[in-house]
Amino acid sequence: MKRRVIRSIVLTVSIALIFSWIGPAQAAEKTPIVIGFIHSMSGAMSMYGISSEAGGKIAIDEINAAGGVLGRPLKMITRDDKLNPETGLREAKDLLLSEKADFLTGTISSAVALAISNYVKREKKLFIVNISQSSSLTEENWHRYIFRIDTNAVPYWGYAPAIALAKTWKAKKIISLGFDYETGKNSLKAFKEKYLQLVPDAKIIDELWAPLGTTDFTAYITKMANSGADAFFLACIYGGGELAFTKQAYAFGLYEKMKAIQPCAGDVETWYQVKKGESYPKGALATCRYPFWAIQDPKSKAFVEKHQKLVGFWPSYGAMNQYFIVYALKDAIEKVGAVDTEKIITALEGMTLNTFVGKVPIRAYDHQAMMPNWYGVMDFSPNLTFPHITKVDVIGEEGYHSVDKIKALRGGK
Amino acid sequence: MTWEALAGQTLSGISVGMVLFLIAAGLSIIFGTLKVLNLAHGSLYMTGSFLCYGLTSLLSQIPGAYWWALLFAPILVAVLGGIIEIFLLRRIYDQEMLYQYILTFALILILGDACKFLFGVGYQTVAAPWPVNGKVFLWGLSFPVYNLFLIGCGLAVFLGLIVLMRYTALGRNVRAVTYNREMANALGINVPKVYTGVFMLGSYLAGLAGTLMPPMSVVALGSDMAVIIECFIIVVIGGLGSLPGAFLGAIILGLLNAFGIYIIPKLAVAFAFMLMIVVLIIRPWGLLGKPE
Amino acid sequence: MTKNFATKVFSIGFWLIVSAIFLLTLPLFLQASWVSLINEMLIMALAGTALNLMLGYGGMVSFGPAGLYAVGAYTTAILLTRYGLPFPLAVLAAPLAAAAVGLIVGWFCVRRSAVYFALLTLAFAQIIWTVIFEWYDFTGGDNGIVSIPIPELLYSITHVYYFSLAVVTVCLFLLWKIVHSPFGTTLQAIRENPMRAEFIAVHVRRYQLAVFVLSSFFLGVAGSLFCVFAGSVFPDYAHWVKSTDMLVVCLLGGIYHFAGPIVGSGVYILISKIISKNTTYWMFFLGIIVVILVLYMRNGLVGFAAEKLAQMKNRSEVKKNKDVP
Repeated sequence: MKRRVIRSIVLTVSIALIFSWIGPAQAAEKTPIVIGFIHSMSGAMSMYGISSEAGGKIAIDEINAAGGVLGRPLKMITRDDKLNPETGLREAKDLLLSEKADFLTGTISSAVALAISNYVKREKKLFIVNISQSSSLTEENWHRYIFRIDTNAVPYWGYAPAIALAKTWKAKKIISLGFDYETGKNSLKAFKEKYLQLVPDAKIIDELWAPLGTTDFTAYITKMANSGADAFFLACIYGGGELAFTKQAYAFGLYEKMKAIQPCAGDVETWYQVKKGESYPKGALATCRYPFWAIQDPKSKAFVEKHQKLVGFWPSYGAMNQYFIVYALKDAIEKVGAVDTEKIITALEGMTLNTFVGKVPIRAYDHQAMMPNWYGVMDFSPNLTFPHITKVDVIGEEGYHSVDKIKALRGGK
Repeated sequence: MTWEALAGQTLSGISVGMVLFLIAAGLSIIFGTLKVLNLAHGSLYMTGSFLCYGLTSLLSQIPGAYWWALLFAPILVAVLGGIIEIFLLRRIYDQEMLYQYILTFALILILGDACKFLFGVGYQTVAAPWPVNGKVFLWGLSFPVYNLFLIGCGLAVFLGLIVLMRYTALGRNVRAVTYNREMANALGINVPKVYTGVFMLGSYLAGLAGTLMPPMSVVALGSDMAVIIECFIIVVIGGLGSLPGAFLGAIILGLLNAFGIYIIPKLAVAFAFMLMIVVLIIRPWGLLGKPE
Repeated sequence: MTKNFATKVFSIGFWLIVSAIFLLTLPLFLQASWVSLINEMLIMALAGTALNLMLGYGGMVSFGPAGLYAVGAYTTAILLTRYGLPFPLAVLAAPLAAAAVGLIVGWFCVRRSAVYFALLTLAFAQIIWTVIFEWYDFTGGDNGIVSIPIPELLYSITHVYYFSLAVVTVCLFLLWKIVHSPFGTTLQAIRENPMRAEFIAVHVRRYQLAVFVLSSFFLGVAGSLFCVFAGSVFPDYAHWVKSTDMLVVCLLGGIYHFAGPIVGSGVYILISKIISKNTTYWMFFLGIIVVILVLYMRNGLVGFAAEKLAQMKNRSEVKKNKDVP
């Protein structure tokens, strides 16, 4: 029996040694400042992950070529969250604990973002969101360690389209169609709230909800066509769903029958494959998070070119946001003079980012960057191969929930 | 509800149902004969969609590229199905159902990544081809010709399969194997060949559905998972292994959805599952299936 | 000590002692992220073993274990967040809630056999998922529930690890007892031949329902543990992909051995982590591994090892007999 115990101990120790050997060895030279990047790198949403990673890479290469930050190079470590909060949380832990990441960034899925946000709150580490739209991240579930350099669902899906519509067509009878999930419902709520306040005599005559992931909207479209509305509003129908909806609505002649308010249609990543002569949301009022064709700053042009060279397609807004995030971190670290999470948070609060889309303040109260939302009317123009927003106009801070409104929301919980 | 609305919802419900029928028919045929619940059926469908996109862009110089794709893409998917049956499924027919489930699940993963590797991660589209790209006016409602074309395809496939199964020697062999495998074997029917043939036929139908969808929808990763659950519901409602059952199930599901959104839009998501559970409890072998 | 090496390697006691020492001391020498990973493995091992009670011992292929796992996780989360129940109560309530749901679901499912049983479990799990996803006011919808008030003592990775270790050990011990009780034996008899079992006056359906409820109970424990471990819950816990994870874990380790899902869980989580760290085509490689398993190693890792060890043992015994003149 005794020998058995000794044997067991020997075996255990050797297994332990093997395990501890697996851990990464630290390089001896100048230790880089590590930015952990968690995104959907595989599966249906991987285009955003790949594009955002490229955006971050461009910024890091530029900064490192110019001597790094405080003499230290920047390094980004990418991990795949598989759109799954369990995996996202596991990778976040691994990045912070094994890779000794100084900051976490990324995510498209709001569930993944919330899981990571909950974790960094305990660990007191900084997490900056570059895509996830759920407004609760910076509202009900806000804490000191989370920032978002991106729009969120309230302005993008709700307030900005409402303001844009009130400035343009002032449609009176609107029918809505949304994906049946939280962000979809919040989008319609925000749109209704803002639009009915701006155009009090308007009415949402019906609300339709399709299961998340629907690609055949035929039955919804016939209902919309027969509803007698003078405009329809898409609440959070995006990506493949939006492309499929547009194709079917176009075939049914819905765009000729009523006006279309189609937030998201302005974002290039859904539309860059669509050529002239194919169906597209003709004449729809659309919002956009990065209309690079309408941005004159040469830095933006250079960014688009670098992104094309790196991954072979047009940059998504996620790429732009990740680029800004890396620069925001650089500015904050240089201002503080050290990689100190608490001080960097204080530096970021109220900082104004000087970007190629203009000055973007980070609101101290909710750590939300006041990223502009652009809008325009979908059309083709001679120098681009895909449909995009034209007559571009911009909505700034007025598109976001006010601080008072957020105070009320947080108080309610 | 006005007459136009009624006509509109009926027509669109049937059109949605027909597309689902095309996918579910293959699933049902395969289950009927092989007793394999092919989880990867949605992946075969998605592969068909990507092949349709690949072929139409490859042949874009040739007029009528889509029609060539419609001819070849499903055949390619059928060949893929044949390879899967011969090299993988054949080895586990005598094993427990669990292994089939896990094996076909592994195929979902493999085919999904293969499509991503070959065709990239973006959303792709295919334009509706001439002469089915216009609109017609029916009961004061404009309706795309392509949806009518889909309804026609669904009906044609349904009738074609019925004829194939009932009135041809091939169909007789398949029915014999389905009815009693050992007996069919004893009577000199080459059972493994029939199995391969049926699996290829099922794959062909999935590929056909996959090729017919892109002109009215979108080619994207993730569509494999989106269709498979709906197809399960259809074959369970109609009766596993029953072709007319799949047809009926698909139409019921399409109409349920089309009128459900009129009557109780909030519950549209849960309708299909509730119907499936009710059917499974009161008539577990499905509406047109046979009790075990 | 006349026993030779092979016999010793084969003895369960030896492995139990090795793993006990290893598991008890590992936070001392392992990096925190590895401790956290092993914590996940422990929870998955419990979920897998609970599922295997149905799969391997009862011969009932369930496609929907994740639904019951999620019921456990959400029970703890909701009781802590919305009702502010004391932590021990919220954790204890999880398996009870899962067992209650398991009783209802199981009552419908055990009336049908084979493929219909499987499809019904899948449908019910999908309904649980839909309810969680849609009922925003109660479950938080697709945003899940975050910031669950877990006692601060369990914030540390080491502490929560020991908590999981203790609970999983107790549960595995109970499951072991169940499997080796007359109940477990009857269950295996039903698996081998339900009709014959019926003939010797075994109420087959009642047994199957009982095992469904027991399995749900332990799945609920696993879900609750994951809620405590992660501090947040999401509808993905009920998704059918999660169910498939659990099935693969059982298959990988081997469904005809008690230790199967435990080994399977460790290997599966390790493999998927290593693959996804190195390539974004992780689905492809995972798929290939599963295909190889199904084609060549149907009895799983534990089954394979047991077979090889039995051969070794046999050979050495033959040799020993030869030595005796």
